[in-house]
Amino acid sequence: METLLSLSDVSWRHKVRDFSTWKPWAQRDGSGIYSIDLEIKYGTIIGLIGPNGAGKSTLMRAICGLYDCEGFDKSCEDRRTQIGYMPEQVRWEGRTTVRHALESIAMMREDEVDIQSIIQTVGLSSKSEELLDNLSQGMRQRLSLACALFGNPKMLVMDEPLNGLDPLAQRAFSNLLKNLAKKGVAIVISSHQVTDLESLVDEVALLHHGQLLIEGTLNKVRKDLDLEQDSGIVEMICSATGVDPEEISLELSRDNMLPFKNLGGEEE
Amino acid sequence: MNAIPLGLHIMKERLTAGRMMVIWPLLAMFILFSSWGLSDPKVNLPSSIVIDSAYDVMFVSTAFIIFSATLGAVLISFDGVSRDRLSGVLEIKLSQPIKRSIYAKALLFGHWSAIFLPVMILNLISLLIIWYRLDDLPSIEEFFIYTLGTGLLLLWYTSIQLLASSWAKDLGSSIAIGLGLWMVFTLLWLVLTTVVAGISGVGVDDLNSTDYIRIDAIMDLFSPNGVYHHLLEMPLDDVNRGMHPAYISLAAILWSIIPVYLFTNRIERIYP
Repeated sequence: METLLSLSDVSWRHKVRDFSTWKPWAQRDGSGIYSIDLEIKYGTIIGLIGPNGAGKSTLMRAICGLYDCEGFDKSCEDRRTQIGYMPEQVRWEGRTTVRHALESIAMMREDEVDIQSIIQTVGLSSKSEELLDNLSQGMRQRLSLACALFGNPKMLVMDEPLNGLDPLAQRAFSNLLKNLAKKGVAIVISSHQVTDLESLVDEVALLHHGQLLIEGTLNKVRKDLDLEQDSGIVEMICSATGVDPEEISLELSRDNMLPFKNLGGEEE
Repeated sequence: MNAIPLGLHIMKERLTAGRMMVIWPLLAMFILFSSWGLSDPKVNLPSSIVIDSAYDVMFVSTAFIIFSATLGAVLISFDGVSRDRLSGVLEIKLSQPIKRSIYAKALLFGHWSAIFLPVMILNLISLLIIWYRLDDLPSIEEFFIYTLGTGLLLLWYTSIQLLASSWAKDLGSSIAIGLGLWMVFTLLWLVLTTVVAGISGVGVDDLNSTDYIRIDAIMDLFSPNGVYHHLLEMPLDDVNRGMHPAYISLAAILWSIIPVYLFTNRIERIYP
Protein backbone atom coordinates (compact mmCIF):
# COMPACT_ATOMS: atom_id res chain seq x y z
CA MET A 1 0.00 0.00 0.00
CA GLU A 2 1.18 3.50 -0.82
CA THR A 3 2.69 5.58 1.97
CA LEU A 4 0.74 8.69 2.96
CA LEU A 5 3.07 10.09 5.59
CA SER A 6 6.57 9.14 6.53
CA LEU A 7 8.22 9.99 9.86
CA SER A 8 11.97 9.77 10.06
CA ASP A 9 13.85 10.51 13.28
CA VAL A 10 11.07 12.75 14.62
CA SER A 11 11.88 14.18 18.03
CA TRP A 12 10.18 16.74 20.21
CA ARG A 13 10.78 17.81 23.79
CA HIS A 14 8.28 19.80 25.81
CA LYS A 15 9.65 22.86 27.55
CA VAL A 16 9.13 22.75 31.29
CA ARG A 17 9.63 25.52 33.83
CA ASP A 18 13.03 25.53 35.46
CA PHE A 19 12.19 28.06 38.13
CA SER A 20 14.99 29.84 39.89
CA THR A 21 15.14 33.05 41.89
CA TRP A 22 17.18 34.95 39.32
CA LYS A 23 15.59 33.42 36.21
CA PRO A 24 11.90 32.79 36.90
CA TRP A 25 11.26 32.52 33.16
CA ALA A 26 13.92 29.83 32.59
CA GLN A 27 12.88 26.62 30.86
CA ARG A 28 14.52 23.29 30.17
CA ASP A 29 13.75 20.29 28.01
CA GLY A 30 11.19 17.94 29.53
CA SER A 31 9.59 14.76 28.34
CA GLY A 32 8.61 14.22 24.71
CA ILE A 33 9.18 11.86 21.85
CA TYR A 34 12.52 10.67 20.63
CA SER A 35 13.69 9.54 17.21
CA ILE A 36 10.39 8.14 15.94
CA ASP A 37 10.43 6.35 12.58
CA LEU A 38 7.02 5.40 11.23
CA GLU A 39 5.31 4.95 7.88
CA ILE A 40 1.58 5.60 7.66
CA LYS A 41 -0.10 4.02 4.64
CA TYR A 42 -3.39 4.83 2.92
CA GLY A 43 -6.34 2.82 4.28
CA THR A 44 -4.46 1.51 7.30
CA ILE A 45 -5.63 1.86 10.90
CA ILE A 46 -2.66 2.15 13.24
CA GLY A 47 -3.22 1.87 16.98
CA LEU A 48 -0.79 3.85 19.11
CA ILE A 49 -0.56 2.07 22.43
CA GLY A 50 1.40 2.76 25.56
CA PRO A 51 0.98 3.72 29.21
CA ASN A 52 0.15 7.23 30.45
CA GLY A 53 2.94 9.64 29.59
CA ALA A 54 4.36 7.39 26.88
CA GLY A 55 4.22 10.21 24.32
CA LYS A 56 1.14 9.15 22.34
CA SER A 57 -0.54 12.58 22.44
CA THR A 58 2.75 14.35 21.74
CA LEU A 59 3.37 12.17 18.69
CA MET A 60 -0.17 12.80 17.47
CA ARG A 61 0.18 16.56 17.86
CA ALA A 62 3.50 16.44 16.01
CA ILE A 63 1.88 14.48 13.18
CA CYS A 64 -0.93 17.07 12.96
CA GLY A 65 1.50 19.97 12.64
CA LEU A 66 0.85 21.47 16.06
CA TYR A 67 4.54 21.23 16.91
CA ASP A 68 7.08 22.63 14.53
CA CYS A 69 9.39 19.61 14.42
CA GLU A 70 11.37 18.12 11.57
CA GLY A 71 11.48 14.62 10.12
CA PHE A 72 8.24 14.53 8.12
CA ASP A 73 8.04 14.17 4.35
CA LYS A 74 5.25 16.79 4.30
CA SER A 75 5.25 20.34 5.62
CA CYS A 76 3.17 21.45 8.62
CA GLU A 77 0.77 23.29 6.30
CA ASP A 78 0.27 20.25 4.06
CA ARG A 79 -0.31 18.01 7.05
CA ARG A 80 -2.87 20.41 8.53
CA THR A 81 -4.72 20.42 5.21
CA GLN A 82 -4.76 16.64 4.84
CA ILE A 83 -5.16 15.48 8.43
CA GLY A 84 -8.28 15.60 10.60
CA TYR A 85 -7.41 15.70 14.28
CA MET A 86 -9.54 14.69 17.22
CA PRO A 87 -7.84 15.53 20.55
CA GLU A 88 -8.57 13.72 23.79
CA GLN A 89 -11.62 14.76 25.82
CA VAL A 90 -12.27 18.26 24.49
CA ARG A 91 -14.53 20.14 26.91
CA TRP A 92 -16.75 22.03 24.48
CA GLU A 93 -18.53 24.69 26.52
CA GLY A 94 -20.29 28.00 26.18
CA ARG A 95 -23.65 29.46 25.26
CA THR A 96 -23.10 28.79 21.58
CA THR A 97 -24.85 26.05 19.63
CA VAL A 98 -23.29 22.92 18.16
CA ARG A 99 -23.89 24.23 14.65
CA HIS A 100 -22.33 27.61 15.43
CA ALA A 101 -19.26 25.92 16.95
CA LEU A 102 -18.87 23.78 13.85
CA GLU A 103 -19.32 26.80 11.59
CA SER A 104 -16.55 28.67 13.40
CA ILE A 105 -14.14 25.75 12.89
CA ALA A 106 -15.25 25.33 9.25
CA MET A 107 -14.41 28.99 8.61
CA MET A 108 -10.79 28.17 9.37
CA ARG A 109 -10.62 26.06 6.22
CA GLU A 110 -10.55 27.19 2.63
CA ASP A 111 -12.51 24.22 1.27
CA GLU A 112 -16.31 24.08 1.41
CA VAL A 113 -17.62 22.07 4.35
CA ASP A 114 -21.05 20.41 4.26
CA ILE A 115 -21.82 20.88 7.95
CA GLN A 116 -25.28 19.30 7.79
CA SER A 117 -23.95 16.09 6.29
CA ILE A 118 -21.16 15.86 8.88
CA ILE A 119 -23.65 16.51 11.69
CA GLN A 120 -25.69 13.57 10.38
CA THR A 121 -22.62 11.36 9.99
CA VAL A 122 -21.63 11.76 13.64
CA GLY A 123 -25.21 11.45 14.92
CA LEU A 124 -25.67 15.00 16.17
CA SER A 125 -28.72 15.91 14.06
CA SER A 126 -31.04 16.18 17.07
CA LYS A 127 -28.47 18.23 19.00
CA SER A 128 -27.39 20.71 16.32
CA GLU A 129 -29.19 23.64 17.98
CA GLU A 130 -28.26 22.53 21.51
CA LEU A 131 -25.97 24.77 23.58
CA LEU A 132 -22.48 23.37 24.14
CA ASP A 133 -22.96 23.67 27.91
CA ASN A 134 -25.78 21.13 27.73
CA LEU A 135 -23.89 18.40 25.87
CA SER A 136 -22.87 15.13 27.50
CA GLN A 137 -19.26 13.95 27.18
CA GLY A 138 -20.28 11.46 24.51
CA MET A 139 -21.89 14.22 22.46
CA ARG A 140 -18.79 16.37 22.89
CA GLN A 141 -16.71 13.48 21.54
CA ARG A 142 -18.99 13.35 18.51
CA LEU A 143 -18.55 17.08 18.02
CA SER A 144 -14.76 16.68 18.09
CA LEU A 145 -15.10 13.86 15.57
CA ALA A 146 -17.19 16.13 13.34
CA CYS A 147 -14.37 18.69 13.32
CA ALA A 148 -11.87 15.96 12.40
CA LEU A 149 -14.00 14.99 9.40
CA PHE A 150 -13.95 18.49 7.87
CA GLY A 151 -12.43 18.73 4.41
CA ASN A 152 -12.51 14.98 3.60
CA PRO A 153 -9.17 14.30 5.30
CA LYS A 154 -6.76 11.75 3.87
CA MET A 155 -5.77 10.85 7.39
CA LEU A 156 -7.47 10.91 10.79
CA VAL A 157 -5.52 11.25 14.01
CA MET A 158 -7.59 10.44 17.08
CA ASP A 159 -6.45 10.62 20.68
CA GLU A 160 -8.35 8.21 22.92
CA PRO A 161 -11.55 8.70 20.87
CA LEU A 162 -13.51 5.91 22.55
CA ASN A 163 -13.36 7.53 26.01
CA GLY A 164 -16.76 8.78 27.11
CA LEU A 165 -18.69 6.90 24.43
CA ASP A 166 -21.35 4.35 25.38
CA PRO A 167 -20.94 0.81 23.98
CA LEU A 168 -23.37 1.43 21.13
CA ALA A 169 -21.60 4.64 20.14
CA GLN A 170 -18.26 2.84 20.39
CA ARG A 171 -19.52 0.20 17.97
CA ALA A 172 -20.89 2.85 15.59
CA PHE A 173 -17.63 4.75 15.88
CA SER A 174 -15.59 1.65 15.04
CA ASN A 175 -17.80 0.93 12.03
CA LEU A 176 -17.37 4.50 10.80
CA LEU A 177 -13.59 4.25 11.08
CA LYS A 178 -13.55 0.90 9.23
CA ASN A 179 -15.66 2.39 6.42
CA LEU A 180 -13.33 5.38 6.17
CA ALA A 181 -10.32 3.08 6.06
CA LYS A 182 -11.93 1.09 3.24
CA LYS A 183 -12.18 4.35 1.31
CA GLY A 184 -8.42 4.80 1.72
CA VAL A 185 -8.31 7.11 4.74
CA ALA A 186 -5.33 6.41 6.98
CA ILE A 187 -6.20 6.40 10.67
CA VAL A 188 -3.95 6.76 13.68
CA ILE A 189 -5.80 6.06 16.90
CA SER A 190 -4.47 5.94 20.43
CA SER A 191 -5.55 4.04 23.47
CA HIS A 192 -3.99 2.73 26.64
CA GLN A 193 -6.10 -0.41 26.29
CA VAL A 194 -5.25 -2.99 23.64
CA THR A 195 -8.72 -4.54 23.96
CA ASP A 196 -10.28 -1.25 22.80
CA LEU A 197 -8.34 -1.48 19.58
CA GLU A 198 -7.98 -5.16 18.93
CA SER A 199 -10.96 -5.51 16.61
CA LEU A 200 -10.30 -2.20 14.92
CA VAL A 201 -6.65 -1.77 14.04
CA ASP A 202 -4.50 -3.26 11.30
CA GLU A 203 -1.24 -2.42 13.02
CA VAL A 204 -0.07 -1.26 16.43
CA ALA A 205 2.84 0.90 17.46
CA LEU A 206 4.00 0.52 21.05
CA LEU A 207 5.30 3.70 22.66
CA HIS A 208 7.10 3.94 25.97
CA HIS A 209 9.13 6.83 27.42
CA GLY A 210 8.69 8.71 24.16
CA GLN A 211 10.25 5.94 22.11
CA LEU A 212 8.68 3.65 19.58
CA LEU A 213 9.54 0.19 20.87
CA ILE A 214 7.93 -1.98 18.23
CA GLU A 215 5.36 -1.78 15.45
CA GLY A 216 3.42 -4.16 13.21
CA THR A 217 0.21 -6.19 13.34
CA LEU A 218 -0.90 -7.16 16.85
CA ASN A 219 -0.16 -10.81 16.13
CA LYS A 220 3.27 -10.00 14.77
CA VAL A 221 4.08 -7.78 17.76
CA ARG A 222 2.96 -10.50 20.18
CA LYS A 223 4.90 -13.10 18.24
CA ASP A 224 8.03 -10.95 18.10
CA LEU A 225 7.78 -10.34 21.83
CA ASP A 226 7.05 -14.01 22.48
CA LEU A 227 3.70 -13.29 24.13
CA GLU A 228 0.37 -15.08 24.36
CA GLN A 229 -2.53 -14.01 22.11
CA ASP A 230 -4.52 -12.28 24.89
CA SER A 231 -1.60 -10.30 26.34
CA GLY A 232 -2.08 -6.57 26.96
CA ILE A 233 0.07 -3.46 27.01
CA VAL A 234 1.76 -4.23 30.32
CA GLU A 235 3.01 -7.57 29.05
CA MET A 236 4.14 -5.93 25.81
CA ILE A 237 6.07 -3.17 27.61
CA CYS A 238 7.61 -5.60 30.06
CA SER A 239 8.61 -7.93 27.27
CA ALA A 240 10.06 -5.10 25.18
CA THR A 241 11.99 -3.65 28.11
CA GLY A 242 13.01 -6.92 29.76
CA VAL A 243 11.23 -6.33 33.06
CA ASP A 244 9.44 -9.11 34.92
CA PRO A 245 5.65 -8.37 34.97
CA GLU A 246 5.49 -9.73 38.55
CA GLU A 247 7.98 -7.14 39.78
CA ILE A 248 6.55 -3.94 38.40
CA SER A 249 4.95 -1.33 40.63
CA LEU A 250 3.26 1.99 39.90
CA GLU A 251 6.73 3.38 39.42
CA LEU A 252 6.72 2.79 35.70
CA SER A 253 9.45 5.32 35.10
CA ARG A 254 12.25 3.33 36.68
CA ASP A 255 15.50 3.67 34.84
CA ASN A 256 15.82 -0.05 34.25
CA MET A 257 12.62 0.07 32.19
CA LEU A 258 14.19 2.47 29.73
CA PRO A 259 14.74 0.40 26.63
CA PHE A 260 17.21 1.15 23.90
CA LYS A 261 17.92 4.84 24.05
CA ASN A 262 18.57 7.22 26.91
CA LEU A 263 16.85 10.58 26.52
CA GLY A 264 19.30 12.51 28.68
CA GLY A 265 18.16 15.44 30.81
CA GLU A 266 14.78 13.78 31.13
CA GLU A 267 12.52 15.24 33.80
CA GLU A 268 11.78 12.79 36.57
CA MET B 1 -7.97 33.17 3.66
CA ASN B 2 -9.43 36.34 5.15
CA ALA B 3 -9.58 37.20 8.85
CA ILE B 4 -12.72 39.35 8.57
CA PRO B 5 -15.41 36.59 8.19
CA LEU B 6 -13.93 34.57 11.04
CA GLY B 7 -13.59 37.77 13.09
CA LEU B 8 -17.26 38.61 12.49
CA HIS B 9 -18.17 35.10 13.60
CA ILE B 10 -16.19 35.57 16.82
CA MET B 11 -17.84 38.98 17.30
CA LYS B 12 -21.30 37.40 17.00
CA GLU B 13 -20.32 34.75 19.52
CA ARG B 14 -19.05 37.37 21.95
CA LEU B 15 -22.04 39.67 21.52
CA THR B 16 -24.39 36.84 22.46
CA ALA B 17 -22.31 35.74 25.45
CA GLY B 18 -23.87 35.92 28.91
CA ARG B 19 -21.44 38.58 30.11
CA MET B 20 -22.95 41.09 27.68
CA MET B 21 -25.94 41.19 30.07
CA VAL B 22 -23.58 43.00 32.44
CA ILE B 23 -21.55 44.97 29.91
CA TRP B 24 -24.48 46.56 28.02
CA PRO B 25 -26.09 48.16 31.12
CA LEU B 26 -22.65 49.18 32.39
CA LEU B 27 -21.83 50.93 29.11
CA ALA B 28 -25.31 52.44 28.82
CA MET B 29 -25.19 53.91 32.32
CA PHE B 30 -21.74 55.42 31.90
CA ILE B 31 -22.03 56.69 28.32
CA LEU B 32 -25.67 57.80 28.13
CA PHE B 33 -25.99 59.16 31.66
CA SER B 34 -22.71 61.09 31.38
CA SER B 35 -23.86 62.63 28.09
CA TRP B 36 -27.20 63.55 29.65
CA GLY B 37 -25.63 65.07 32.75
CA LEU B 38 -22.76 66.88 31.06
CA SER B 39 -24.99 68.39 28.37
CA ASP B 40 -27.13 70.12 31.00
CA PRO B 41 -26.70 73.85 30.30
CA LYS B 42 -26.62 74.51 34.06
CA VAL B 43 -23.90 71.97 34.83
CA ASN B 44 -21.02 73.14 37.06
CA LEU B 45 -17.79 71.17 36.80
CA PRO B 46 -14.71 71.39 39.05
CA SER B 47 -11.26 72.61 37.92
CA SER B 48 -12.77 75.44 35.88
CA ILE B 49 -13.80 73.03 33.08
CA VAL B 50 -16.11 74.91 30.75
CA ILE B 51 -18.52 73.11 28.47
CA ASP B 52 -19.85 75.22 25.64
CA SER B 53 -20.03 72.85 22.66
CA ALA B 54 -21.10 69.32 21.77
CA TYR B 55 -17.48 68.23 21.40
CA ASP B 56 -16.70 69.58 24.90
CA VAL B 57 -19.40 67.25 26.27
CA MET B 58 -17.98 64.32 24.30
CA PHE B 59 -14.44 65.14 25.47
CA VAL B 60 -15.36 65.31 29.15
CA SER B 61 -17.52 62.20 28.92
CA THR B 62 -14.49 60.22 27.72
CA ALA B 63 -13.55 59.90 31.41
CA PHE B 64 -16.57 57.63 31.67
CA ILE B 65 -15.67 55.80 28.44
CA ILE B 66 -12.26 55.10 29.91
CA PHE B 67 -13.90 53.55 32.94
CA SER B 68 -16.60 51.51 31.25
CA ALA B 69 -15.53 50.65 27.70
CA THR B 70 -11.99 49.63 28.59
CA LEU B 71 -13.33 47.45 31.40
CA GLY B 72 -15.74 45.99 28.85
CA ALA B 73 -12.81 45.21 26.53
CA VAL B 74 -11.07 43.40 29.39
CA LEU B 75 -14.22 41.45 30.34
CA ILE B 76 -14.89 40.41 26.74
CA SER B 77 -11.33 39.36 25.93
CA PHE B 78 -9.99 37.83 29.14
CA ASP B 79 -10.78 34.28 28.03
CA GLY B 80 -10.30 34.88 24.30
CA VAL B 81 -7.47 32.36 24.11
CA SER B 82 -7.22 30.79 27.57
CA ARG B 83 -10.70 29.24 27.58
CA ASP B 84 -10.08 27.42 24.29
CA ARG B 85 -6.65 26.40 25.51
CA LEU B 86 -7.97 24.97 28.76
CA SER B 87 -10.88 23.14 27.13
CA GLY B 88 -8.79 21.63 24.32
CA VAL B 89 -10.69 23.46 21.58
CA LEU B 90 -7.53 25.42 20.71
CA GLU B 91 -5.91 22.13 19.64
CA ILE B 92 -8.69 21.62 17.12
CA LYS B 93 -8.49 25.22 15.91
CA LEU B 94 -4.71 25.23 15.52
CA SER B 95 -4.83 21.93 13.62
CA GLN B 96 -6.95 23.58 10.91
CA PRO B 97 -5.17 24.79 7.75
CA ILE B 98 -5.42 28.47 8.62
CA LYS B 99 -2.32 30.61 9.00
CA ARG B 100 -1.86 31.39 12.65
CA SER B 101 -1.25 35.07 11.89
CA ILE B 102 -4.67 35.23 10.21
CA TYR B 103 -6.27 33.46 13.17
CA ALA B 104 -4.63 36.00 15.50
CA LYS B 105 -6.00 38.88 13.41
CA ALA B 106 -9.47 37.30 13.44
CA LEU B 107 -9.32 36.99 17.22
CA LEU B 108 -8.27 40.64 17.53
CA PHE B 109 -10.92 41.88 15.11
CA GLY B 110 -13.67 39.73 16.64
CA HIS B 111 -13.02 40.77 20.23
CA TRP B 112 -12.36 44.41 19.38
CA SER B 113 -15.54 44.76 17.33
CA ALA B 114 -17.59 43.06 20.07
CA ILE B 115 -16.86 46.02 22.36
CA PHE B 116 -16.47 48.75 19.73
CA LEU B 117 -19.91 48.13 18.22
CA PRO B 118 -21.91 48.59 21.46
CA VAL B 119 -19.80 51.61 22.41
CA MET B 120 -20.40 53.26 19.04
CA ILE B 121 -24.14 52.53 19.13
CA LEU B 122 -24.33 54.18 22.55
CA ASN B 123 -22.12 57.05 21.37
CA LEU B 124 -24.52 57.73 18.51
CA ILE B 125 -27.43 57.74 20.96
CA SER B 126 -25.48 60.09 23.23
CA LEU B 127 -24.97 62.41 20.23
CA LEU B 128 -28.76 62.59 19.89
CA ILE B 129 -29.00 63.38 23.62
CA ILE B 130 -26.42 66.17 23.28
CA TRP B 131 -28.23 67.54 20.22
CA TYR B 132 -31.52 67.51 22.12
CA ARG B 133 -30.04 69.17 25.23
CA LEU B 134 -27.55 71.61 23.70
CA ASP B 135 -28.89 71.99 20.18
CA ASP B 136 -25.35 71.45 18.94
CA LEU B 137 -23.50 68.66 17.15
CA PRO B 138 -19.76 68.04 16.76
CA SER B 139 -18.16 68.68 13.37
CA ILE B 140 -17.36 65.72 11.13
CA GLU B 141 -13.66 66.16 11.88
CA GLU B 142 -14.32 66.15 15.64
CA PHE B 143 -16.53 63.08 15.39
CA PHE B 144 -13.91 61.30 13.26
CA ILE B 145 -11.15 61.98 15.78
CA TYR B 146 -13.42 60.91 18.63
CA THR B 147 -14.36 57.66 16.85
CA LEU B 148 -10.77 56.96 15.81
CA GLY B 149 -9.47 57.61 19.32
CA THR B 150 -12.12 55.42 20.93
CA GLY B 151 -11.53 52.63 18.40
CA LEU B 152 -7.79 52.74 19.01
CA LEU B 153 -8.19 52.80 22.79
CA LEU B 154 -10.36 49.68 22.64
CA LEU B 155 -7.91 48.01 20.25
CA TRP B 156 -5.05 48.65 22.69
CA TYR B 157 -6.92 47.19 25.63
CA THR B 158 -8.23 44.26 23.58
CA SER B 159 -4.79 43.33 22.25
CA ILE B 160 -3.19 43.64 25.70
CA GLN B 161 -5.91 41.49 27.27
CA LEU B 162 -5.75 38.86 24.52
CA LEU B 163 -1.98 38.74 24.95
CA ALA B 164 -2.49 38.19 28.69
CA SER B 165 -5.08 35.53 27.88
CA SER B 166 -2.60 33.70 25.65
CA TRP B 167 0.08 33.81 28.36
CA ALA B 168 -2.14 32.70 31.22
CA LYS B 169 -2.47 29.02 32.03
CA ASP B 170 -5.84 29.56 33.68
CA LEU B 171 -8.74 32.01 33.52
CA GLY B 172 -7.94 33.49 36.94
CA SER B 173 -4.43 34.52 35.92
CA SER B 174 -5.74 35.95 32.66
CA ILE B 175 -8.29 38.22 34.29
CA ALA B 176 -5.84 39.11 37.08
CA ILE B 177 -3.30 40.35 34.52
CA GLY B 178 -5.95 42.20 32.51
CA LEU B 179 -7.65 43.85 35.47
CA GLY B 180 -4.28 44.62 37.04
CA LEU B 181 -3.14 46.50 33.95
CA TRP B 182 -6.54 48.19 33.66
CA MET B 183 -6.23 49.42 37.25
CA VAL B 184 -2.68 50.66 36.68
CA PHE B 185 -3.63 52.66 33.59
CA THR B 186 -7.04 53.82 34.82
CA LEU B 187 -6.67 54.33 38.55
CA LEU B 188 -3.00 54.32 39.50
CA TRP B 189 -1.46 56.28 36.63
CA LEU B 190 -2.07 59.58 38.40
CA VAL B 191 -0.17 58.27 41.43
CA LEU B 192 2.66 57.09 39.20
CA THR B 193 2.73 60.47 37.48
CA THR B 194 3.03 62.33 40.79
CA VAL B 195 5.79 59.96 41.90
CA VAL B 196 7.73 60.60 38.67
CA ALA B 197 7.12 64.33 39.04
CA GLY B 198 8.35 64.22 42.63
CA ILE B 199 11.50 62.28 41.63
CA SER B 200 12.08 64.79 38.80
CA GLY B 201 11.99 67.66 41.28
CA VAL B 202 8.64 69.01 40.12
CA GLY B 203 6.34 70.11 42.92
CA VAL B 204 3.18 68.06 43.20
CA ASP B 205 1.35 70.54 45.43
CA ASP B 206 0.13 72.48 42.38
CA LEU B 207 -1.22 70.15 39.70
CA ASN B 208 -1.88 73.13 37.41
CA SER B 209 1.74 74.28 37.30
CA THR B 210 3.42 74.34 33.87
CA ASP B 211 6.12 71.86 34.95
CA TYR B 212 3.65 69.35 36.32
CA ILE B 213 1.43 69.60 33.23
CA ARG B 214 4.51 68.95 31.10
CA ILE B 215 5.44 65.83 33.12
CA ASP B 216 1.80 64.72 33.04
CA ALA B 217 1.71 65.08 29.24
CA ILE B 218 4.91 63.05 28.83
CA MET B 219 3.73 60.32 31.21
CA ASP B 220 0.45 60.13 29.32
CA LEU B 221 2.34 58.94 26.23
CA PHE B 222 3.14 55.73 28.10
CA SER B 223 -0.46 54.97 28.99
CA PRO B 224 -3.23 54.03 26.51
CA ASN B 225 -5.68 56.27 28.37
CA GLY B 226 -3.20 59.14 28.22
CA VAL B 227 -2.60 58.79 24.49
CA TYR B 228 -6.38 58.64 24.02
CA HIS B 229 -6.74 61.96 25.83
CA HIS B 230 -3.89 63.47 23.85
CA LEU B 231 -5.66 62.45 20.62
CA LEU B 232 -8.98 63.92 21.74
CA GLU B 233 -7.31 67.16 22.84
CA MET B 234 -6.07 67.82 19.33
CA PRO B 235 -9.24 69.59 18.08
CA LEU B 236 -9.55 71.63 21.30
CA ASP B 237 -8.16 75.15 20.95
CA ASP B 238 -8.20 75.97 24.66
CA VAL B 239 -6.28 72.85 25.75
CA ASN B 240 -2.55 72.78 25.12
CA ARG B 241 -0.23 70.67 27.24
CA GLY B 242 2.77 71.44 25.04
CA MET B 243 2.99 68.02 23.38
CA HIS B 244 3.81 68.07 19.68
CA PRO B 245 1.26 66.15 17.56
CA ALA B 246 4.09 64.09 16.04
CA TYR B 247 4.87 62.56 19.45
CA ILE B 248 1.19 61.85 20.05
CA SER B 249 0.84 60.18 16.63
CA LEU B 250 4.03 58.18 17.21
CA ALA B 251 2.77 57.01 20.60
CA ALA B 252 -0.59 56.03 19.07
CA ILE B 253 1.17 54.10 16.31
CA LEU B 254 3.46 52.31 18.76
CA TRP B 255 0.56 51.43 21.07
CA SER B 256 -1.24 50.03 18.02
CA ILE B 257 1.69 48.07 16.64
CA ILE B 258 3.51 46.63 19.65
CA PRO B 259 0.71 44.75 21.49
CA VAL B 260 -0.77 43.54 18.18
CA TYR B 261 2.65 42.32 17.03
CA LEU B 262 3.31 40.61 20.36
CA PHE B 263 -0.08 38.90 20.27
CA THR B 264 0.29 37.73 16.66
CA ASN B 265 3.77 36.46 17.44
CA ARG B 266 2.46 34.67 20.52
CA ILE B 267 -0.30 32.90 18.57
CA GLU B 268 2.22 31.86 15.90
CA ARG B 269 4.33 30.17 18.57
CA ILE B 270 1.73 28.94 21.03
CA TYR B 271 1.51 25.23 21.83
CA PRO B 272 -1.91 23.98 22.85
